[in-house]
Amino acid sequence: MDNLKEELKKHIIEQLNLEDVRVEDIADSDLLFDQSGLGLDSIDALELIVLLEKFYGIQVTKPEEGKEAFRSIETMAQYIRKRKTAV
Amino acid sequence: MIYIGAEEMISPLGNDAKATFSAVSEGLSGISLVHKAGLNQTDIHLATIPGLTVSRAFENLIVAILKLVANNVDPDTVASDRTLVIISSTKGGLKDSIADPFADVADTILQEFNLAHQPLIISNACISGVLAINTAGNFVRSGHYDHVIVIGCDVISDFVIYGFQSLFAVSDKPCAPFDSGRAGVTLGEACSAVVISNNPQIYRDRPYSLLIGTSANDANHISGPSRTGEGLYRSVSRTMAQNGISPADIDFISAHGTGTLYNDEMESIAFDRLGLVDVPLNSLKGYFGHTLGAAGVLETAVSIQSMRNGLLLKSMGYIEKGTSVALNVIEESKNTQIRTVLKTASGFGGGNASLLIQDL
Amino acid sequence: MSFITTYCHITDRNCYLNGKLVASFDPGSSDSWLKQLYKFNNVTYPKFYKMDTLSQCGYLASEFIKASNPDRFTSYADDRIAMVFANRCSSAESDIRFQNSYEVLQTPSPAMFVYTLPNIVIGEIAIANKWYGENMFAVLPKFAPDFFINYAEILFSSGSEAVLAGWLDVTEVKVNAFVILLEKNTGGIKSNIVNLTELIEEAFT
Repeated sequence: MDNLKEELKKHIIEQLNLEDVRVEDIADSDLLFDQSGLGLDSIDALELIVLLEKFYGIQVTKPEEGKEAFRSIETMAQYIRKRKTAV
Repeated sequence: MIYIGAEEMISPLGNDAKATFSAVSEGLSGISLVHKAGLNQTDIHLATIPGLTVSRAFENLIVAILKLVANNVDPDTVASDRTLVIISSTKGGLKDSIADPFADVADTILQEFNLAHQPLIISNACISGVLAINTAGNFVRSGHYDHVIVIGCDVISDFVIYGFQSLFAVSDKPCAPFDSGRAGVTLGEACSAVVISNNPQIYRDRPYSLLIGTSANDANHISGPSRTGEGLYRSVSRTMAQNGISPADIDFISAHGTGTLYNDEMESIAFDRLGLVDVPLNSLKGYFGHTLGAAGVLETAVSIQSMRNGLLLKSMGYIEKGTSVALNVIEESKNTQIRTVLKTASGFGGGNASLLIQDL
Repeated sequence: MSFITTYCHITDRNCYLNGKLVASFDPGSSDSWLKQLYKFNNVTYPKFYKMDTLSQCGYLASEFIKASNPDRFTSYADDRIAMVFANRCSSAESDIRFQNSYEVLQTPSPAMFVYTLPNIVIGEIAIANKWYGENMFAVLPKFAPDFFINYAEILFSSGSEAVLAGWLDVTEVKVNAFVILLEKNTGGIKSNIVNLTELIEEAFT
């Protein structure tokens, strides 16, 4: 199991108040902003940016940059790893 | 007939209507780069009123504007038991009392101006001002009051700056509504007032006619405008239909035009659906920034001044078409007779509102 | 002529519909009172959890009124249902939470900021029902029956056919929401200041 991904799911559920969702409900490849996935919206995307800064010290200065990174748990984890190693 | 006039404004560009309008006519903008005013001590463009008091700025502005307005109408109007005061604001005296932001101002003006009725506060995000003027018209038309003084006011605070920054909605240059290079809002502060009445005799300068205005929700998203402009379309079409006004009757549109990508695009789509793309249009946000709860009143007041002076104001910050539908954005201020004005507003919570003003 | 056809009162511990108790706070539950009411209503609307308490409360009252007669709103065109709400402190609770996010937690929360306007509750109900009608949120020192009755009459005279109106005094520790549905030509309690004042006095004492 990938710890970062599990941790991310936990943070997302908490930060976005997804009360009816459990960690095991989210697959790594689920499209976060699609109704087939978590059905998140534009404000959720901004909260994900806050989450990245709060828990991983990563600053996203352009929301468009987040768009690609926030497609799924998979892409978010990749993005975090990339940004962390770049520092 | 319902009348509107006695417009006043305290803005970054002047301490009354005359000074403000003359600055706007000269093409001046109240927006400047303010050192360290943003989140994490960043510099940010704002349109601030010089010399505002640190505490009770909101209350002081409301008192000051009421004094100005009182000079523009029959002196008995303000304290008459046939007069209501409506205040339009999003955050009121938040900096003084976050837990009860409107209580102090209401008490203060009740006493200081000997008002006969408890002021009505309308807090409906960025459509507050247009909604307040429409409400005033409705109250006078229905006979509940003879006169309504509508005041729009909001002051800049860390609260609002940080909030808009957290939404990535703040422009890194002065806002440029409807322009291809627009990059978000510039926040502003202002206090403005108009008087609505059933009696044309109370006004010092001649009043105009306020037609029936309407609002409509776009039922789309609490913080994002509908892509189809549905709410704005419905509000404006209802307002035009209720008054028997067709697109050809409208000489000028004072649009909302915040300078964000989605808002301005939404407005262009709605105006296209309404058959209004050829009507000269401006957004005044390039002069005053987005003054939130004050915007609808301030922009209506400036538009009335435009009618008085026969001057269509250029849309400050606009250089080239930046919406998928081309609008007739005013590029240079020009003298012309303006008989009928459409004012629109759109805001958070899905609100859209519109009003019409006509020369008598 | 218009009538008060349904009214819903939510307090700290109880929820009444047309004066009858329909739900009470369960101290044994780990859920908040408003969440208990959400579950009681049996409508799945995940957005509920994202709302601030003001929006949650207004949304719940509208759902209880809807549930009392599911066909009630279907006869109206989507832009003929108006909403007029008021309270004393605007969105103070969310304002304080947002202020805390940047002053104490050092990062302003966009999800909190979007609830720092009192009219968001109207947006939430409009979105949930796809209603495109007239909107108004007012701040008043106390429940003023004349404001609601007078403004509803104005809305009726300009094309609205139903008005959902009410007082939403809501914080996490104190809930007092009184929401009424006004309709034209239906029968029910005649919509006037005396009758609404009576309903309020009965409910608030």
